[in-house]
Amino acid sequence: MTSIDIGLIVSGFMLFMVLIGVRVAFAAALTGLTGLIWIFWAKKGYDPTEFMWALTVAVKTAGQVPHSKIASQALSLIPTFILIGYLAYYAGLTKALFEAAKRWLGWLPGGLAVSTVFATAGFAAVSGASVATAAVFARIAIPEMLAQGYDKRFAAGVVAAAGTLASLIPPSAILVIYAIIVEQDVGRLLLAGFIPGAFSAVIYGLLVVGLALVFKDFGPPVGGFTWKQRFQSLPGAFPIFFVVAIIIFFIYNPFGGDAWGTPTEGGALGAFVVLIIALAKGMRWKQLKEALMETAKLTVMIFTIIWGVLIYVRFLGFADLPGVFSDWITSLDQSPMLTLVYILLAYAVLGMFMDAIGMLLLTLPVVYPAVMALNGGEFVSAADSAFGMSGTACAIWFGILVVKMAELCLITPPIGLNCFVVAGVRPDITVQQVFWGVTPFFVADALTIAGLVAFPGIVLYLPRLLLGI
Amino acid sequence: MSAYTPVLEDDSLLSKLDRNLYKLESHLALIGGLAAFSLMMLAVVSVTGRNLFNRPLPGYVDWIEQAMPLLAFVGVSYAQRLGGHIRMDILIGRLRGRWLWGAELASTIVMLALMLLLVWGTWAHFQRSFDFASPNWSRDSSLDISLPLWPAKLLVTFSFFVLSLRLMLQIWGYGRAIRTGTSSPIAVPLIESAASAAANEAAAVSGFDEEINK
Repeated sequence: MTSIDIGLIVSGFMLFMVLIGVRVAFAAALTGLTGLIWIFWAKKGYDPTEFMWALTVAVKTAGQVPHSKIASQALSLIPTFILIGYLAYYAGLTKALFEAAKRWLGWLPGGLAVSTVFATAGFAAVSGASVATAAVFARIAIPEMLAQGYDKRFAAGVVAAAGTLASLIPPSAILVIYAIIVEQDVGRLLLAGFIPGAFSAVIYGLLVVGLALVFKDFGPPVGGFTWKQRFQSLPGAFPIFFVVAIIIFFIYNPFGGDAWGTPTEGGALGAFVVLIIALAKGMRWKQLKEALMETAKLTVMIFTIIWGVLIYVRFLGFADLPGVFSDWITSLDQSPMLTLVYILLAYAVLGMFMDAIGMLLLTLPVVYPAVMALNGGEFVSAADSAFGMSGTACAIWFGILVVKMAELCLITPPIGLNCFVVAGVRPDITVQQVFWGVTPFFVADALTIAGLVAFPGIVLYLPRLLLGI
Repeated sequence: MSAYTPVLEDDSLLSKLDRNLYKLESHLALIGGLAAFSLMMLAVVSVTGRNLFNRPLPGYVDWIEQAMPLLAFVGVSYAQRLGGHIRMDILIGRLRGRWLWGAELASTIVMLALMLLLVWGTWAHFQRSFDFASPNWSRDSSLDISLPLWPAKLLVTFSFFVLSLRLMLQIWGYGRAIRTGTSSPIAVPLIESAASAAANEAAAVSGFDEEINK
């Protein structure tokens, strides 16, 4: 039996374990460890006296992974971003943000829904938690929209969909995770996410305005705010802009010269400002402790999957499965672009059943090298490549695409979690009604992704302009 | 995903052990949270020191690398107690009664086997860097300010050991659930439906918002 066969069998076993509910991190780690034992033992011709040797070597190989891979500075971004999120709840930013959005955007057709899109997107970006954001705004925004006569299915849909905009706008933990797994520069990816994230939010906004223009009884604009009132609403929303801006400035210095520091430091400053505001708003040790415990729990969950998958990746290296998969993908008799579209569609299907982080971490070790190979390899120049971009650019572009796909899964049946959350908060709205309400946004997202595939410049503009990739 | 999963309790030995271990796990998780907090403060000090006073924090990167295992590992058992580690429960969530506990038991035994092997593997990793005869008992050290690496490595082994204890308790819990055939077993995390997970999540995050905006 070749190492490829072992790779395939063991990976199949992993999918089976995940499917029957073994926690993803441990399924991946066990697969990696089993695979290592098998491969080492096979080298000794399955000699029973050598089994203990194979086991010992495999266990020691796997045992290095958790500490050596986790003790890195780049990964410290993840807890920092998570901490910002939990502190943001206690800083009372949600209502201030919604109020500001209402005063500035309420006059548009469907104004309250447009305001909801931007307030939810802004808060979700900083909190990094799509699902929790949807829960909060379901309480704040839906009652106001219903009072203005909006269709309740649509009001619920706006909140559920806008929460998904979190993943691309910095600070984005999931983009950091992608960068770590594919060994790309974190700063470039965070920067690249900004325009597609803002672009998605604008598309959502335009969609609402369009719907409001077509359907006359949609929901009236809310006007009558003076410029003074508008500017008065800004300080409350300021921390959101601060956090996003400071992280970008720590990747690229807008005033010329070196960047001010690492993204981690930018994130830490953002977290510090949010902490001060939360303290001013009445957060005390009890709430801070709660935020720290939640941060610890989510951080551990994410890191456990990371080291679990990295043990699997260590095994994959021995089995050379990614290499074989890449060879197969590049040998397909069809255009690389079509293959890429199929890969993205596969993610859409997978996303219906799996958590975004688990899905990306389990698949990327095999899929990412294949996509890079499709483009012509890691060090290909733009001129020689299949997608018209260098290897580095392709890594960034594909990252934004898969993260956007992964976020889509939050609003697709059967387990679109955002929709369940909104329905959970509002007992008068069923899950089916929320799914009905997010349908226009789902269509908009599909078009956005098509746009990002067709015009990679949208993704690559900022990194090219500012970091010269 | 969910912030809160109910774990039922009673006055049996199993439940007592469960609650005591949970106390330890909670303390460890808090240490992890405080590590995240320190990481933030460290970065703030480092960046202001460097940019405003032209005085970088010595060994900043070394300290981060030391703090990461605190963050990444010590809470691993806490997350398991609360049923937090990400999984796909769309199939297993359809099972009821003994079938469900049987499936949970099987996957917990598999996890325990893995963790015991990793306790061994990470211990070996620790032993390679630990040496009573060396300065700081350490054969290796961080690049900038030469912090010994063995404490962080030992922390991984310790965290995995605590997780193994947790898994043993859960195996006991599921085994007992199979024997009694109960629908509400103690000391193990129960699967929530997406709806009730969502409701809990909403309650967890919006409580304070309402508190301060009254």
